[in-house]
Amino acid sequence: MGWKEAAEPLLTRMPSVVRPEGHVPFKRKLGWTAGILVLYFFLTNITVWGLAEQGNDLFGQFRSILGGSQGSILQLGIGPIVTASIVLQLLGGADLLGLDTDDPRDQILYQGLQKLLVVAMIFLTGIPMVFAGGFLPASSNLADALGVGIFGVQVLIFAQIAVGGILILFMDEIVSKWGVGSGIGLFIIAGVSQQLIGGLFGWQGLTGNIGFLPAWVGIITGSIDIGSPLTAEGLQAIFMGQGQLIALVTTVLIFVVVVYAESVRIEIPLSHARVKGARGRFPVKLIYASVLPMILVRALQANIQFLGRILQSQLGAAGMPNWLGVYNQQGQPTAGFFYYFNPIQAPGDWMWWTGIAQEPWQVALRVAIDLTFMVIGGAIFAVFWVETTGMGPEATAKQIQNSGMQIPGFRRNPQVIEKVMERYIPQVTVIGGALVGLLAVLANMLGTIGGVSGTGLLLAVSITYKLYEEIAEEQLMEMHPMMRSMFGNG
Amino acid sequence: MSKGQNSGGLMSSAGLVRYFDAEDRNAIRVDPKTVVAFGILFGFVVMVLNAVGL
Repeated sequence: MGWKEAAEPLLTRMPSVVRPEGHVPFKRKLGWTAGILVLYFFLTNITVWGLAEQGNDLFGQFRSILGGSQGSILQLGIGPIVTASIVLQLLGGADLLGLDTDDPRDQILYQGLQKLLVVAMIFLTGIPMVFAGGFLPASSNLADALGVGIFGVQVLIFAQIAVGGILILFMDEIVSKWGVGSGIGLFIIAGVSQQLIGGLFGWQGLTGNIGFLPAWVGIITGSIDIGSPLTAEGLQAIFMGQGQLIALVTTVLIFVVVVYAESVRIEIPLSHARVKGARGRFPVKLIYASVLPMILVRALQANIQFLGRILQSQLGAAGMPNWLGVYNQQGQPTAGFFYYFNPIQAPGDWMWWTGIAQEPWQVALRVAIDLTFMVIGGAIFAVFWVETTGMGPEATAKQIQNSGMQIPGFRRNPQVIEKVMERYIPQVTVIGGALVGLLAVLANMLGTIGGVSGTGLLLAVSITYKLYEEIAEEQLMEMHPMMRSMFGNG
Repeated sequence: MSKGQNSGGLMSSAGLVRYFDAEDRNAIRVDPKTVVAFGILFGFVVMVLNAVGL
């Protein structure tokens, strides 16, 4: 008996959101999406009951891609979903699961396994957050008032963030089934745009940092003193400091590159086997696997950093060997293994001439490790992504065959189509994945408006682009109900 | 159950979590309105507990 039969009774009973019966009008879809977004913002603003203070954010710089917010009931954000997805991608990519996603029985098991893994990850990330270190400090007043002790309050805190984590999972499912796009995508866009707007327009009293536009108003009116723009310090302030010109250029450049890269594709011509003159094209996009695998690589780096911070909070500064990690007051690693594996998040992390604590060779090593991680990791996860989401040569060949199309000049046979696909898909996937990884690191090194991080920006732009395509398709179907059968949903 | 094809077709790469058409008869089904109502209620309960200020 394999694991499938053993786990079947549990996996088939995982609760799931009902699917809509028949077609959901576009307006209703938008309604669900907006409703979930409002609920998400509402929940990120509710502080967990029983906290003594806000505490240190364990997610730190990764917050912009992992969603949620520190100290709220959505503390965990999409972290557990992303981590569960890594595990599933690795298992699926290495073909260890033995699940055939074309078989309805296996589809149910896959869905169940997905949910079970997310719940497991809620426990694995939530427990250390609450019970180790000062990430979510429990209130001793409440412990006295309730008479349950600190441990009791910690259990209460954990229960709240666990419910929040499960709510996120179901909110994602609602958006995927009843709304437009996916919940995960929505939450990433929401977080990144919030930061971006804050970084552009925010003023000191609102966000704690001076945004791009208020800073320039200040520079022009003279209320922010940057010195003479003809000196080295003045230029430094205009481009890297208060002026943030480099960050603006990087942000705009990422927008342009992603939108351009979305349109770079190899088109494989198709013709219909029976209807003469009916022609089509199968596009293999440069960023074929989309930017989503990138979040998995970043999450892997984030998990390494969590491990470091939890170890540090358990062992204390004295108990932690120096080769493993030395931490400063803000909880940032400054030397050792965890320093080198901490990705570059801002220009200040590597510009050795601005007077940072590390030697140039140490900085260079850190940049090299970050680059290697993102470029190779990006390529590997892109390959796994293509395999597990049914975008690989074999799956697409089957799809083309089923739609009655063929590649002109070749025999109408799925194996033949697969051969042709194999010439393009794997290469394009690897190049695309590596390119996106490289872009993310470069954007972080040059800085972005609002500190949204390169990955956050890449994700937000490409998800918005996909959303736009989906909405366009949706409206087309709305106007021409006949199109619905062509796109294959009833 | 449809032909066993993925509902999204080529758009299946949209999300990190994948949902298929296939559903088991034993599965517990939740109405989306229930989830939203629970989310709002849960938020308010925690808010009130905070406001009571223990």
